[in-house]
Amino acid sequence: MSKETREHLSALVDGEITRETSRFLVKRLGSDDELRATWTRYHLVRDCLRHQDGAIAGEDLCARVSEALENEQPAKTSRTLPTGWLKPAAGLAIAASVALMAIVAIGPGAPGVPQAAGELASEAQAEQFTSPQSLTPAPYSSQASLEGRNDTRNRKMNSYLVRHYQATGVTGGKGFVAFVPIVITGSKTVNETGSKDDSVDSEAERDEEPRLR
Amino acid sequence: MRPITATLVLVAVLLGPAGSILAGEQVEPREMLERMTVAMSQMSYQGTFVYVQGDSVETMRITHVSDESGVRERLVAVSGPAREVLRDSSGVRWVLSDDRSVFEDSAFNRSFFPELPLDQNDQTELSYSLKLGSEARIAGHNARNLKVLPRDRYRYGYSLWLEEHSGLLLKWELIDGNRKSLAKLMFTDVRIGSEVDVKELKPTRQLKKFKTVESELPSGRGLSKTRPKWQPGSLPPGFQLTAHRYFGQSDEGIYEHLVYSDGLATVSVYIESSSPDSDPRAGVNRLGTTHAFSQVKNDMLITVVGDVPAITVKFIGDSVKAVSP
Repeated sequence: MSKETREHLSALVDGEITRETSRFLVKRLGSDDELRATWTRYHLVRDCLRHQDGAIAGEDLCARVSEALENEQPAKTSRTLPTGWLKPAAGLAIAASVALMAIVAIGPGAPGVPQAAGELASEAQAEQFTSPQSLTPAPYSSQASLEGRNDTRNRKMNSYLVRHYQATGVTGGKGFVAFVPIVITGSKTVNETGSKDDSVDSEAERDEEPRLR
Repeated sequence: MRPITATLVLVAVLLGPAGSILAGEQVEPREMLERMTVAMSQMSYQGTFVYVQGDSVETMRITHVSDESGVRERLVAVSGPAREVLRDSSGVRWVLSDDRSVFEDSAFNRSFFPELPLDQNDQTELSYSLKLGSEARIAGHNARNLKVLPRDRYRYGYSLWLEEHSGLLLKWELIDGNRKSLAKLMFTDVRIGSEVDVKELKPTRQLKKFKTVESELPSGRGLSKTRPKWQPGSLPPGFQLTAHRYFGQSDEGIYEHLVYSDGLATVSVYIESSSPDSDPRAGVNRLGTTHAFSQVKNDMLITVVGDVPAITVKFIGDSVKAVSP
């Protein structure tokens, strides 16, 4: 079975595949023993991982999936936050409603990776890594509490961090560990190099290499 | 049906026709790493752990539930100011009870991220040396140690203790290139599967009474074969582009987010139209073990964030340039 087929099968289980591809796969499930065995194994794996009891997904699952697809409502094109905690703050950020968003997934294993994405990945790797000697050591380090959530600059940095941790939790396999820095009591963003006005924050000190406190 | 993601593809392959994972079997280091990734996402678990960084020692509690409703997670500080992170399919809520505020960010679309990038596990071994360590008993569970040592100074290393049956992470240590410990995390008690009390997913406080602070970054969903407008001209070895988001063609400026990974470490590169009033301060910033580097270039704010050494975010940030049309 090809890697692409396995990815499509996984995406089918995820419910994140086009209806056309879904129909094609389900049709194949009815006639392809290997595909059906893999499908069953995915469910077995999931049940084992989740410590779930009960019957192992069998061939009748295919029939149920077919039925579900037939009755499926058109896929939603956007995922929204639950009512109650989506309260856009006026004047913040880019207005998502007018921004034109594009997502391109690049990398092996991504369901539905467009050809163009693969080319981009190659391009990114095509650039050769240059000498690390060009790096300039951090000239000094100064402590600056950026914890105040009401400060615009802090809000921006917090936004970067939280979104990055979301990406890290997925791509790096770290899960919840990625989010620990924003929960621990002593979390402060420390400016280690940068603009002169950082010196208003105390404890400026020479430091050849950035240090962890 | 909630996503179980492409990770299952690999797990199924790993299990093979026999479909069994047995304690006591001899497993390859790479396989242990793969099991951990799946377990962290797909298992339900709950426990208390201690996090040590420098002189700081914090106690935290994690509840991670993966069921038909999807993945839901709550990470809460047991000691110190009441802070917690709530995650579900809608996104992330960062609750700061002492400030009576909630910071919210919409979901980072998982469907565009291979949770366990298959080929990147090959890539991982180019960037890290994997070695099996000793066995230990942690939080009442037998665990195996896996050392993940960086092959260069552009990434950190890890010493991981994984539960012998599932691969669940029981102890984690971040180490630098000189094998100096930077941070540690260790569970003191762990519940797995049906033992998890899902009621602990509920936030401590009534969040409706808290002030809501929205993320500064655009949310939404879309798909287009858009080429990056900006990207690093050079990357440390092993890092590959794994995702790209672009918002543009509006009067509000552009926002571009590129995610690079070497299989373990992840680096985010943000490119936005500069706004002097809100741009983060320039230079290298650090939060815990996370480094960020910001600078303005040609009226564009470039920020690189990653759980990597400072030189790595700076190197990548300095090399970001506009892509020739």
